[in-house]
Amino acid sequence: MSSIPFRSFVPLVSLVVGALSAASALAQAPAAPPPSWQQGRSAEQANSPLHPFAPHMTGRASKDLPVDKLKLPPGFKVEVWAEGVPEARSLALGDKGTVFVSNRIAKSVYAVVDKGGTREVKTLLKGLNTPNGVVFSKGTLYVAERDRITRYDGIEGSLDNAPAAKVVIDGLDPQNQAGHFWKFLALGPDGKLYYNVGAPGNIVMPSYFQAAISRVDPKTGIAEEYVQGVRNSVGFDWHPQTRQLWFTEHGRDWLGDDSPSDELNVAKTKGQHFGYPYCHQGDTLDPEFGKGRDCKAYTPPVLKLGAHVAPLGMRFYTGKMFPAEYRNNIFIARHGSWNRSTKQGYDIYRVALNENGKVIKSGPFLTGFLTDEKADPPMWGRPVDVLQMKDGSLLFSDDYNGILYRISYAKK
Amino acid sequence: MNSICRAGAAALAAALCFSGAGEALAADPQLCAVCHGPEGNSIIPANPSLAAQPEQSISIQLFQFREGNRKDAQMTPMAANLSNKEMNELAAYFSKQKAAAPSHKTSPENVVAGAKLAQQFNCAQCHGPVLRGQQHIPRLAGQQYEYLLAQLRKFKAQKRADLDGNMTSAAQPLSDRDIEILVDYAAGLSPQ
Repeated sequence: MSSIPFRSFVPLVSLVVGALSAASALAQAPAAPPPSWQQGRSAEQANSPLHPFAPHMTGRASKDLPVDKLKLPPGFKVEVWAEGVPEARSLALGDKGTVFVSNRIAKSVYAVVDKGGTREVKTLLKGLNTPNGVVFSKGTLYVAERDRITRYDGIEGSLDNAPAAKVVIDGLDPQNQAGHFWKFLALGPDGKLYYNVGAPGNIVMPSYFQAAISRVDPKTGIAEEYVQGVRNSVGFDWHPQTRQLWFTEHGRDWLGDDSPSDELNVAKTKGQHFGYPYCHQGDTLDPEFGKGRDCKAYTPPVLKLGAHVAPLGMRFYTGKMFPAEYRNNIFIARHGSWNRSTKQGYDIYRVALNENGKVIKSGPFLTGFLTDEKADPPMWGRPVDVLQMKDGSLLFSDDYNGILYRISYAKK
Repeated sequence: MNSICRAGAAALAAALCFSGAGEALAADPQLCAVCHGPEGNSIIPANPSLAAQPEQSISIQLFQFREGNRKDAQMTPMAANLSNKEMNELAAYFSKQKAAAPSHKTSPENVVAGAKLAQQFNCAQCHGPVLRGQQHIPRLAGQQYEYLLAQLRKFKAQKRADLDGNMTSAAQPLSDRDIEILVDYAAGLSPQ
């Protein structure tokens, strides 16, 4: 049930409330503990109208949406590739072309099968707990749920009758944590599965393996923490040449419209600390947790992606369809801000690197979802993950509408 | 259609099926109106009004029933066979209906007390200053008193499906008396 996210802190609240409720209900009781997403808000922000957005779980038909308003550089085009995929989030590509699609709320994993011009959406797995992470490798689909990572072998041969889950590792959510409990999953060049465990709130002290990216060997089920001080990362990939782990990270909320910036990070060695909850964006101490700390103790981001833009899935582009200058660029799905009075993000963002892996330029690549930065809601779609297809085209998911889009390039 | 009639189980829905109206489409809003009232203005205290609810708040609840996240003896089978498209159509239809004036009258002492609690306990933060809802968040203003009371008690007991956990957490600090005051207040507010 969706009440689970809060179970961990509910007993504490109940105790306090039990004591309070002996007094008159209308006495000057202290304000109630706010919902999780309001945690960390200052007194001045108490009447802020800002709030998170929820996806249209039943999806919306692309014919009712301004898809023709999406903009790309010359030569590129975008089209709807599949729709009716509830809350489409993370993407994985099978050897036979099946696209596996995850979500946070729908409890299912979907498989989209290309039938040459049309696509069929199959409900592949059911009854899962926040199945946000999907990886395909050597015939096997791996799924990261809230509390475990599982494998489904030979999946593309049994799309209508998926095999039973085999557990790679479980016990990943022993505290039934609030906050960022969904997991991204990716397969590293070392053959290990990498996953995030987010911070249990907006700005709180994480406990042991929280606010970290960890990895597990699928052969042995043995896990270890890889890097820490990561508030929440819902997208990572490895540079095709340096093989270093690059990842997106969401900064904290309620520190103002322009602070802190969300981040693009590189992990070079095991054990690196990226700052949370002490230091944000590499140079800004947290007003509460930063006392007595120095940002120099933590690894700064290689690129600031903008405040509250919510960078999610990211991949290096290694295909041949796009022009040569796009090779080994990073495409990032920016889900878009809610915790900002003037909204930004809601795009596919491009980051170009030089031969040494240094960022040389960055900017929006696909725009048009954001229609009115002051409206509520300000957008009609929200990108979540990107996926390079075999022909070099790029798919991306939109959880707000349950749609997958395809970006392709043709020389003029 | 047969399966919906059979599974529907609700006496009222069954009556509709047997009367021959069962040939209607699964997504026929008239079938919903049997329990949710004409144009979605409920006249049954335990059933919510759908009229003038935010469109997304209706489609999401239908989804929650179909997927088994939210369970109800009458609604679960009604939603079981609906497609996403049908859910969207029903949501669009009921969101556009005019809400009737509330049948509930807030007791005078709770007009101010309820508004104060709605601020104190963050109700107005998401449901809006006069609790008319927005996007995926339902309208509480003018909703059926009994329905609201039952839902808020279930949220407090952590037994009500919740899209993102916010309502479950918001209900935890409420005392039984707070719940009664808040519901008395919300049910008497003007819905539009």
